[in-house]
Amino acid sequence: MSHLTLEQFDRDGALREAGSRLPRKRFFALAAGGAAAVFGGLAAPARGATKGDVAILNYALVLEYLQAAFYTETERVAAVRGQAARAARVVGAVERAHVAAFSNLLGRKAVKRPAFDFKGTTEDQQAFLKTAVAFEDLAVAAYKGQAHLIESDAVLAAAVSIHSVEARHAAWMRHLFGIRPATSAFDEAKPKAEILRIVQSTGFVVAKRPRTRAQGGPRFTG
Amino acid sequence: MVAAAVIALLARRGDEQAVLGEDRPTLVPPALAVSPAPALRIGEPVPLGVARDLAYWAPVIRPVAARASPSATAPVVARLATQTPEQTANLVLALGRTTDARNRIWTRVRLPVLPNNTIGWVPRAALGGLSAVRTRLVVDLARLTATLYRGGRQVFQAPVGVGTSQWPTPRGAFYIRNRLASYSSPFYGPIAFGTSARSAVLTDWPAGGFVGIHGTNQPELLPGRISHGCIRLRNPDILRLAQLLPIGTPLTIR
Repeated sequence: MSHLTLEQFDRDGALREAGSRLPRKRFFALAAGGAAAVFGGLAAPARGATKGDVAILNYALVLEYLQAAFYTETERVAAVRGQAARAARVVGAVERAHVAAFSNLLGRKAVKRPAFDFKGTTEDQQAFLKTAVAFEDLAVAAYKGQAHLIESDAVLAAAVSIHSVEARHAAWMRHLFGIRPATSAFDEAKPKAEILRIVQSTGFVVAKRPRTRAQGGPRFTG
Repeated sequence: MVAAAVIALLARRGDEQAVLGEDRPTLVPPALAVSPAPALRIGEPVPLGVARDLAYWAPVIRPVAARASPSATAPVVARLATQTPEQTANLVLALGRTTDARNRIWTRVRLPVLPNNTIGWVPRAALGGLSAVRTRLVVDLARLTATLYRGGRQVFQAPVGVGTSQWPTPRGAFYIRNRLASYSSPFYGPIAFGTSARSAVLTDWPAGGFVGIHGTNQPELLPGRISHGCIRLRNPDILRLAQLLPIGTPLTIR
């Protein structure tokens, strides 16, 4: 079996159903992290990072938010069973550690956590595994796609250390889904624009949280 | 013979250092730069732990019929709009889920309809993203108190006014579905929360007779059975509760 991309994997469009409700411009702005604005708010460990590296760190944070939220919801909802549930628990704990690490590094200017709608993929065994494979493959391709752009050796070392972890997750989820964990001699990298386009096309990142507050006069029974 | 081959190989490579022992060569690689310390300090994996009072709600994102069972042919128990009478997102509390023979996910939801305590099934695709809350509000009609729990621990309690015997506050399981503020009605105090509970008596009340949790301009009446079904708190209490009470919180009136 050749290496699967998310598009190849999602031939039936399950991940893309209903399209995205997040305007493209806003989504890309979120993922890019506004490097110039972020740069001034870094925590101490990242002060030596370049603007480009800061943008990459925020891009990584968005992907980690996505993964962490996916596994957290899966574990909480508890509709996924057996080995898949165990994998969700273990991998979710790791993704939350990644989020914490990036958030600490970026400090108060880290991009905010978006709202998510996983469209039932956290509530069905097969949909969960299929999405998990896609997410992990995507993360591996995303980290690899940034490696040559990272200027700081320290940031590169961090990215590499996470990249290999994501690759293990990808292999684990592939195994659970019943496809070969390792299929090719070389993995392809994906540029940021392609990764963001794929993520946006899933519709998992939503434009805004539901409106639950209003200013009109109550008409309750009193 | 192998040692001789290695020695010959090393002899052709001037950039390698070879130290010959008595019988065999030992290859000493050139010194490498020390790996840089990663910019991130990634901590240990973060387990979720046990979450008491965990509940999920979701907005209705397209008009949908709630059905008695998870089937497109099951009887309709309610029709759900995407917005409340207050023009906020219409929410349902997600109680469970199942997958039908066509592999569609159905969500079991608590409904904001009469009769109170109605539960139905809606296609998962009609709902938006799940949001979690870890709070639970209990209104005790006998003790005339409202108590908020977070993660199983009591974090708030205050005296309340509830419905009279003519207009009783309904008992049952409900949820908080919106929050209103900045209006100009002192009768409701500074903040009002809408709930999924409805008066079984005042069915012709504007907007359907939903029960609210709100402040009051008559604090001297509290605690007591003095309302049309709504749950009234003193204004300082509703302001304090507003800092603790997320939308989607399950509400038990007993």
